[in-house]
Amino acid sequence: MLKKDLISKSPASKTIGIENVKDGRFGAVLSRAGVGKTSFLVQIALTQLLNDEKILHVSLDDPMEKINLRYKEGYTNLIDYIGYIDPQKAVRLWEDIKPNKVGISYTESTFDTQKIKDYLKSFKKADLTLPSVIIIDGLNFDEDVSKSLEELESLNREFCVFIWFSMKNHREEDLCEDGYPIQLETYKDRFDKAVFLQPVEDKIEAVILKDGDKTDQKFKLDPATMMVIEDI
Amino acid sequence: MIRDLKRVRNIGISAHIDSGKTTLTERILFYTDKIHKINEVRGKDGTGAVMDSMELEKERGITIASAATYCEWDKHNINIIDTPGHVDFTVEVERSLRVLDGVVLILCSVSGVQSQSITVDQQMKRYEVPCIAFVNKCDRSGANPIKVSDQLRDKLGHNSVMMQLPIGLEDKHEGVIDLVAMKACYFEGENGEKMVVKEIPDNMMDDAQLAREEMVDAVSLFSEELTDAILEEKEITNEMIMSAVRTGTIAREMTPVFLGSAYKNKAVQPLLDAVVSYLPSPLDIQNEAIDIDNNEETVILESKFDKPTVALAFKLEDGQYGQLTYIRVYQGCINKGDTLINSRDGKKFKAGRLIRMHSSQTEDVDAVPAGHIGAMFGIDCASGDTFVSPAINYSMIAMHIMEPVISLSIVPKDNKAQINMSKALNRFTKEDPTFKTYVDHETGDTIIQGMGELHLEVYVERMKREYNAEVTTGQPRVAYRETITKKALFNYTHKKQTGGAGQYGRVAGFMEPCEDEFEFVNKITGGRIPTQYIPACKQGFEACMNKGPKLEFPVTGIKVTLNDGAFHAVDSSEMAFKAAARGGFLESYAKAKPVIKEPIMKVVIETPNEFQGACMGLINQRRGIIQGSQEEGVMSVIESQVPLSDMFGFSTILRSATQGKAQFTMEFSTYRQVPQSVAEEIARKKQEEKTKNK
Repeated sequence: MLKKDLISKSPASKTIGIENVKDGRFGAVLSRAGVGKTSFLVQIALTQLLNDEKILHVSLDDPMEKINLRYKEGYTNLIDYIGYIDPQKAVRLWEDIKPNKVGISYTESTFDTQKIKDYLKSFKKADLTLPSVIIIDGLNFDEDVSKSLEELESLNREFCVFIWFSMKNHREEDLCEDGYPIQLETYKDRFDKAVFLQPVEDKIEAVILKDGDKTDQKFKLDPATMMVIEDI
Repeated sequence: MIRDLKRVRNIGISAHIDSGKTTLTERILFYTDKIHKINEVRGKDGTGAVMDSMELEKERGITIASAATYCEWDKHNINIIDTPGHVDFTVEVERSLRVLDGVVLILCSVSGVQSQSITVDQQMKRYEVPCIAFVNKCDRSGANPIKVSDQLRDKLGHNSVMMQLPIGLEDKHEGVIDLVAMKACYFEGENGEKMVVKEIPDNMMDDAQLAREEMVDAVSLFSEELTDAILEEKEITNEMIMSAVRTGTIAREMTPVFLGSAYKNKAVQPLLDAVVSYLPSPLDIQNEAIDIDNNEETVILESKFDKPTVALAFKLEDGQYGQLTYIRVYQGCINKGDTLINSRDGKKFKAGRLIRMHSSQTEDVDAVPAGHIGAMFGIDCASGDTFVSPAINYSMIAMHIMEPVISLSIVPKDNKAQINMSKALNRFTKEDPTFKTYVDHETGDTIIQGMGELHLEVYVERMKREYNAEVTTGQPRVAYRETITKKALFNYTHKKQTGGAGQYGRVAGFMEPCEDEFEFVNKITGGRIPTQYIPACKQGFEACMNKGPKLEFPVTGIKVTLNDGAFHAVDSSEMAFKAAARGGFLESYAKAKPVIKEPIMKVVIETPNEFQGACMGLINQRRGIIQGSQEEGVMSVIESQVPLSDMFGFSTILRSATQGKAQFTMEFSTYRQVPQSVAEEIARKKQEEKTKNK
């Protein structure tokens, strides 16, 4: 029951839709630095964990401890958002879902899809359930990442795993004609989903840039917790 | 032994396995003229380090038992304990820290803060031992002492302050810059014994000045004089800085960081200076005991020689002249021939031969005064016992001892081996509180229990070598536990009438899961069970905890509340209520959804980056949970939790998966419920064993 409540209130469900989170190949969360890409990605991952699925979080920026801390914080925000919950139940649920998350921290120079492939292969070998979603946080889309994306696409095909990326754009850059930041424009054909986060007054506005029927929908998020405030 | 305690340091050298503890100790002994030749831990001549006196230690290149030694530096007497790095021998570290006043925490400049550094840090916190850090192996490729200092801050929460800067790193590591004296120190001579102090090279002056400013700023928190001098822009003397560092270190509010390379004989002498300058003397540390005769009140011990003696036996060893007992004297002085009392059992004994230790060598002394570490021969006692003068009855607070998690059956090859094995086990269990032994009454096998595979392996090997006891070992077994998962009621009447006096007792209440091992709550009102039978009820329940009804594993985490019952004026007895409690336990246990719990180990693998995926795969295949993986330079660190039962033989598998390039450490983390499929497998095996034994 608690799981269902949490999933339904999660910003990932409210904006993208839980059934939609891993439908396709790639998804991107775009914003300028410091707006909340990682927090939003963590919320996406949490919906999967609450759905009893495994996730793999690869960070090219944060050390392992920080990744773990972000998940704990994201979970606490979600719990606080739905109001009073028996704290013991909340802790027990966290202990239940936590083992399904693996955080790997790489530096930009050592990031190698082969390592992820080796890791996913070991699941198959041991006949274990594969992660349903991989989060890749910190890949620099200002540089040419087509080779990495190609390799990751093959992972998507081989292991049926949806990959969400963080994509950093810059304040001084104009949006392209179709309203996409340049980083997404370059690789737009590879992405099935894209959420653009931008500060509007004292809130964050989440705009669905790419997601079939949902495209162009807007949501207001609390900048401290990334929880949805109300539909615009 | 020096009687001016200001000039005494009791220090330990602790770190992660293979960080160079023994290598550093060897250099310290060389520079302080205790030894005249440096022997390497894994030296080609096969001599091994002086501190690794056990043959097995020399062969394996690891320290198993903590060795004690002493040396003199700058007119100070330094007692040193070199402790093992491997987590399986963690009790050795634990008991050393209990009696030490300060620690040199060694960190590898490449690997940084590793898993055992974290364990040692927790132990230091438990015993509130101040420390200074030494970033070793600055000559290694990938050395980065500043990163290590940051890790000390981020991972262990130390207020780390760099006291030196390296002059060159990796193969260009030449020496260090002392940020207090603002001088460059180089180490010349065949074994680096000649410390040459020069001016700081021009190209490093700016960095050094910046680093000194940062250091002075950080340590000024601990000295008003220094703060005033900074604010009033007066001259800052070296003494002011040193005094502030000393205050901060002893208060455990800062950790000064030194660096060098013990193996390459670089910067060990400045570290010795730091030990003398910054680590506490026995007078700086407050030690406590409890007064048994005075309602166990806490008393502060004073390092005065004329006060009644209080000493702690922290380690036992079987020497050629009988049992050797390592002691730390906290108050008074133990003289040859003094009468002392072991406060645990009240037995009187006479202090015979007193010695101070230098690894396996001994030196006779007439007295061991307060503040010093020494050893006595021929005393029959256990590790952790307190020795006091007849006038007082104090006890030092006990050490933290962990329960063993792994067991192994051993069978002697013949009759002679049987006798020798008993002797060996008798000694080992006395020496090491985490090593236990018992006889399984069903199989008749002798079972040994310990903290890990290596721990037991070393003892089996020692049995062969030191006692000529050839034994064959069975498969290692995991120490499973049983517990309940829900509340269940009991209402049991024990009634027996078989001629003569009968037996009658009724107990009612409930059991529920709890955090502690066992809890008993008496809520009997109105004398339904007379008060004199309540302890018997408790004993009855407690006795059932030893062997669980489900699969005969020890039971933990049960709270029993007794709230009703009945007695018979003639037929009730303690025995009847014990039997009633047993019946009540069995009745409710089955209803309380009992489950099996297994020990889960924290496993940390350090592997070259290219094998990261493969190593994570190995964890996955072992029901492990990967908590995360982090790349640090060319190495990856994978943290995980894995059931102990799936870790047997892991070292071989890891070696073959990584061409021998990865290493791992494993330590007990927690008990967790086993999945249903595994529980069924355990039950099946248990049943098979039972059938076989019949």
